[in-house]
Parts: sequence; C-alpha cells; structure tokens
Amino acid sequence: MSKSACFHCALPIDRDDEFQVEIDGELEPVCCPGCKAVAELIRDTGMSSYYAMREAPQPGVGRPPDDATEWQLFDRDDMIDAFADLSDQSAEATIYVGGMYCAACSWLIESTLGKVKGVESADVNPVTHRVRVRWRTEDLGLGGVLATLARLGYEPQPLAPESTARPEIAEQRTALKRLLVASLGMMQVMMFAVGLYAGDFQGMDADMQYFLRLVSFIVTTPVVLYSARPFFAGAWRGIVTRRPGMDLPVSIAVTVAYLGSVYAMVTRGPAVWFDSVVMFVFFLTLGRFLEMRARHRSIDRSVALSTLLPNTVTRLEGDVQNIVPAGRLVVGDVLIVRPGESIPADGVLVDGETTVDEALLTGEADPRRRSLGDALVAGSINLDGMIQMRVEKTGTDTTLGTISRMSERARYARPAFVQLADRLAGYIVVAILVIAVGVATYWYFNAPDRAFVITLSVLVVTCPCALALATPAAFAAAGTRLAELHLLVTNGNAIEVLSKATRILFDKTGTLTHGKPVIVSTQLLGDTYDEAQCLKFAAALETVSNHPIANAFDVLNNPITATDQRVAIGEGVAGTIQGRRWRLGKFGFVAAEESAATSNDATSVFLGVDGVVIAQFDIDDEVRADAVSTIQALSSLRLSIGLISGDNKQAVQRVARLLGIADHHSNCTPDDKLDIIRSAQVAGETVVMVGDGINDAPVLAGADASVAPVHGALLAQTSADIVLLGGALQPVTLGILLAKQTMRVVRQNLGWAIVYNATALPLAALGYVPPWAAAIGMSASSLIVVLNALRLSRFRKT
Amino acid sequence: MNILYVLIPLALLLLGGAVWAFFWAVGSGQFDDLDTPAIRIVMDDDDKPPDRPDA
Repeated sequence: MSKSACFHCALPIDRDDEFQVEIDGELEPVCCPGCKAVAELIRDTGMSSYYAMREAPQPGVGRPPDDATEWQLFDRDDMIDAFADLSDQSAEATIYVGGMYCAACSWLIESTLGKVKGVESADVNPVTHRVRVRWRTEDLGLGGVLATLARLGYEPQPLAPESTARPEIAEQRTALKRLLVASLGMMQVMMFAVGLYAGDFQGMDADMQYFLRLVSFIVTTPVVLYSARPFFAGAWRGIVTRRPGMDLPVSIAVTVAYLGSVYAMVTRGPAVWFDSVVMFVFFLTLGRFLEMRARHRSIDRSVALSTLLPNTVTRLEGDVQNIVPAGRLVVGDVLIVRPGESIPADGVLVDGETTVDEALLTGEADPRRRSLGDALVAGSINLDGMIQMRVEKTGTDTTLGTISRMSERARYARPAFVQLADRLAGYIVVAILVIAVGVATYWYFNAPDRAFVITLSVLVVTCPCALALATPAAFAAAGTRLAELHLLVTNGNAIEVLSKATRILFDKTGTLTHGKPVIVSTQLLGDTYDEAQCLKFAAALETVSNHPIANAFDVLNNPITATDQRVAIGEGVAGTIQGRRWRLGKFGFVAAEESAATSNDATSVFLGVDGVVIAQFDIDDEVRADAVSTIQALSSLRLSIGLISGDNKQAVQRVARLLGIADHHSNCTPDDKLDIIRSAQVAGETVVMVGDGINDAPVLAGADASVAPVHGALLAQTSADIVLLGGALQPVTLGILLAKQTMRVVRQNLGWAIVYNATALPLAALGYVPPWAAAIGMSASSLIVVLNALRLSRFRKT
Repeated sequence: MNILYVLIPLALLLLGGAVWAFFWAVGSGQFDDLDTPAIRIVMDDDDKPPDRPDA
C-alpha cells in the first residue's frame, strides 16, 4: 500500500494507478471518480493554477459531482420566481456555496462561471460564501448555474432574496468608512501640525496660526463625531451597565482633548492637540477593524446548517405531487420523501416505514428505524423507504433551526478573555481617573496654567491601550494562524487552556477513525466462490442501498450487475445475479437456519445465495492516516493521552493497540466520560477533549478545552471551543505548540505594557511629557505590542 | 505664504471628494471582498486547455 495522497482532495489513497489525471503534463493520482471528474473539469477550463494557488486542499472541493438532473428542476418558472430577481432579459440570484474556504476557491468559481455561455457576471464573496450571479435567461437557467457549481464539487444552495442580506457586510462597510475618515483625517491634521510646530520654533504670523488651527479643527471634527462614535457608544453602555470598559477613558481623553483644543483655538491659547486626537482615534479604529475581521472569519455555520436541507420538496396536494421550494412549506403540509433524500422539516411519519440517518445531528452512526407515527427531524437522511410525512415545524422552529440559532448567538458573543480584559480595564480606568483628578488638583494649585496640558498628557499616556491590546492582539494573530493550520477557534479561552494542557482525551469513532465502514476481513463459509468474487457479488447487491455499510463495498467499477434488487429495511438487500437469488445482510435474513457463525468485535454482514450462507464480511472503522504520528507527537510534548469511547471493548482495544495508547476506556456512557474528565480535573490536570458525536456534547463542555472535527455532529461543534477543519489530526499538535508560543507572547506584551505605563505615568504627572509626545508614546507602545503579536502569524512547525 | 489660504481649502475640497468617492465605492460593494483581489493578480486566466479531440 503506497502512502500517496489524492492530488485533488489530499485524502490518502491506496493505489496510485487506479484513477489518474494529467495536469500540466504530469500524471497525478486521485482518489475517486469524483475527484477525477472535478480535476479534469478544472484542467479543461484552463484553470490548473488553482492547484498552485489554493492554501490547502479543501475537503469541500472533491466530493463526487452531483447528478445534473437534480438541478434541472431549478429551470422552472416558479423556482426562478422564488430565488431570482428577474428583469426583461436577465435574472440575478444569490447562491450560497458550501465547501468554499479560500480565496483560490472564489477565483475558481468566478472564472468557471464566467466561461459559461449566458453568464453576465459572477461575484463571489469568500467571507459570506455567497456568489451573486447574473445571467441571460434566453441562454441559461438557474439550474445550469447550480449544476456548474455542483460539477466543481461545491454544494450550491440558492437563497431566497430576503435572506441574502448579511450583518457582516453592513458592519464591515461601516467600519471601513470610519477607518478611512480617521486615516485621511490623521494624515491631513499631521501635515497642519508639522506647520504649527515649525511655527512654534521659527515664529509664525498669528493669523496663519489661527488658520492652521481652524483647518485642523475642521478635519478633526468628522473624525471625532463619525470615526470615534463607537467608542462614545461603548463608553455610554459601560456607564449604563455600571461596567466601565476601555471605551470610557478613550472617550474622556478624546472629548477632553478635542474640547480643550477648540477652547484654545477660540481663545488663541498656547497650543492645540487636534493631532493627538486624530492619531489616537485612528490607531484605536484600526485595532477595532482588525478585531472585527478576525471575528468575521469564523465559519458562517447558520447557512452551513441549512445546506443539510433539500432545496425542493415534493408536496402532496390531494392526489397530485407538486415540487415546491422548501422555503414555501407550511405546518400541516404532507410531503413525499424518497430514499436518499433528506427530511426537509420536523414532522411525523404518516405513511410507510424507513430507517433514517441522524448522524449529522446526533453523531449516532447507526441508522434509526422509523414507522407510522414516529417523529422525524429536519436534516436527517431518509435511507431506504419511500415515506409520507406531515410537517409540524418549519424553518427556524425546527431542532436544526434551534442549533443554528445557538451557534449564531455563540458567534456574536464576546469571547471570555475580552470580557475579562474589560473587567480588568474597569479597575484600571477608575485608577486612571483618580490619578488624573489628583494630578489636575495638584497642578491647579501649583501651576494653574500648566494643569490642563499635564492632565491631558496623563490621560493619553496612561491609556491602557498596550495593556488592553496585549492579550487580544496575540490571540487574534494566533487565531488567524490557527485557522490557516485548519483549527477554527470559537472560544478565545481555548488558546490559554491548550497551552496548559496536561492530558488529552480522544473519542474513537469519527475522531481517531474515519467513522466510515471498511471491510477488515472476509471469511469464506463455502468453497464455491473466492473472496474477490464474493466482494463483487456483494457490491452489485449494494448498488441500490443507501445504508452506510454499502460504502464499505466497491459499488462503482463493478463488472457484475444485479437485477430485481429489493431493500428489506433494517435487514439487508436481495437481488438476482446470473439467475440466482442472492441476499446480503443480517444472518437471519440471509439464511434460514440459526447462527453458527463466529461473531467478533466488528459488525458482520453475511452473503448468501438461495438460502445458503457463503461469506462473512467483518466491517469496521479504519484509523486515520496521521493518527499514529499525531499521538506520538503529542506524547513527546509530555501530554498524557487517553482514549474514551462508547464502543465495545474489543474495538477500543484494537485501536488503542494500533496507536499505542495505554489509557483506554470502553463502553462509556456520556456520564462515564464526564466522570473520567472530572476525576482528572480533581487531580489537578488540565483536560483537552477531542470528540465529534452529539453524545460528546456534554463531555466537550465539561473538558477545559474541546476540539470537534468539522465532519462530526453539528451540536458537538457548537459546544466545542475549537473546530478541526479537514480530515487530518496533526493540526491538534501544532495547535498546542502555537498556544504555548501565544502565551509566551502574551507574557512579553503584558510585561512591556506594565513597564511602559509604570515609566510614563510618573514622567507625565511631573509635567515632562507634552501631549503630542504622550500620543506618540501611547501609539508606539501599542504598535510594539501588535507587531510582537503578529510574529505568531508566521508560526511554523519546527 | 498667502497662497496657503487658497491651497489648503482646495486640499480640503479634494479630501472631501476622495471621502465621497470612497463612501460610494464601499456602498456599491467594491470593498466587500478584501481577500480575493490580493491574489487575483497572480492568477492567470490564459492557461491553454490541453488539445482534446472533442474540444
């Protein structure tokens, strides 16, 4: 078995020569027909440089292309009405593109769509994962656009016009405008300030001085009233909620310096401080802008969740089946859901029976049986029966909608470290105000003409900006770098906890293993057919099955075809091959007599012909390619590693032996897992949990920090601190190393900020620091802190 | 130096124009994507697709 990886999606592949694509004159191996098709499409449209430019192979690009017929539905008039804005010759629609992660993706999409006949424009926004397409209706339909995106391996979802507005875009636009006003204002006022300072030394006409101060005032005013408005709003909120934050001293300094300058200008006083005001506002606005960008980078999971739902549903109106957009469903509608489709709304099964796969919601891999009167959950997949259901909840009322709202709320909540910094800043703010009042009082009685200038210097120089920036700047830089390393931090605390971790616990299924079944062994129970033949017969039968176990068999590229296939729900499949009746499934389904076969840890599936069992396939879950190296790397960091799983003992032991994990627990209920974590915590350990199932949600929440793989249960991701993108485990190691480095930088920054403030405050209070020097000192100390933090964004594994 | 009384107000007018132009550009969505344009310049659209009999 070779160790190479798919050229397109980077999944490990067994055989280099099975599927290949010629790119730039070289034969590159790919893992599956899907990747082959996508890579060929990218090559044939002349966009091979996608492979050179993308940041990392993305899991999104690489899914097998969707069946184009599915998209033809969207060419119908009522679909166009539901999803697009029509003008006389052309239509425009906004499409959410699932599976798009980097800028290379957006280039690929724009270029590919641009080459489709009929497309007038395509604008991709990689931040919101949306593409806005405009096309001529005579050449193309919405279905054609969607099919093109699907052929590239993405998951397109047209959005109804009312849901296309995103708060991020509005926020970013406002922030950009404020930043621009502040930066242009700063440049202008600095130029006037140079003139004024030169005038102080060389002498200047009083009218010219007044004129320069006046234009400084004119430029500073919009900077204060427009760019600095968020600080005033924040300061007011702090006062109302009695929790003064950073915004309060900032607002006071800005207001005092601005009003003092206006007063000095009008009374032709000795100096104005408009330059200090604009510089102060500019640096703070820049900091806020960078913080906002980091926040927006986290995945927009609300839409990612809704991609689990179908775009269209089949509604039963009397005896007539009508295909309608899923957004048009109302409570009480009766729907037909075919095998393989996902359930579009919460409801009750009213006709037929089936099994459903709720893995994406619950993390439970085993399909659940559903019959008349049972509840169905939106987002789960109907595996093998044609059913009718009555809709009880739609849209945001569904379980899926609730999860989506929860994760959206978590996204906008301020991370705990920012809250802590704000509380700390509250005390510092009070201290600064007390000191400023003291300094003002002292100088008022000793040198009243200097009292204002010195107090202003104290307010500016002691602004705890460097102190306040020390932690968030380092965490923001680390967060950005971690995202590039495929770790998405959703809780700022996680970085600190990771750096202190002493024990790391892994879940087995779906975390250390792929969570997908593979055949680990085949036992022949008869001697008519050899192993290869048995596998081919089994694969031929499984072509009609949606059961997860079918994935274990090589359903594609099979020379044998079965006819008259029938799926027995929860039992197996039957079909006719070469005139004989074959069955694949549970022992009792395949054979008439009682079981004599050996049962071991793996799930067993039996193959039989005409009631005689001829083969047993043991299906199990394969360990991830980099699991062994990751576990070794983590041990070398002196972390103790544990494996806790709800699986049976043999399966857990097999994996633990393979990976060299001594500390393993099997048959754990979520409560057992929580107990293991609690007892370790009581013993003084800091526990990191890596797990993906919904059963793990309380466990993830109980651990000090938690990591959930992106392909696992969505609820697990909402309660996890860090989401692991892509299929590899190795980022966990890098994440811990980076977290340690981050905390080193935080300590350096805090040390510097404290030294700076401790030196600058007495100097300013004694009157040695003019306001312009205070503004420069404050900005420079903040800049040093930010630059030190930015070193983290170049972090590499060593 | 009296020329400054003309030049500085002129500069302020230009500044106002620049701010207006930027606000218009932001409002029309030209700055919504701050990531892709940075790499678009290095991507070639004119890769020649390989010759294919059916193309």
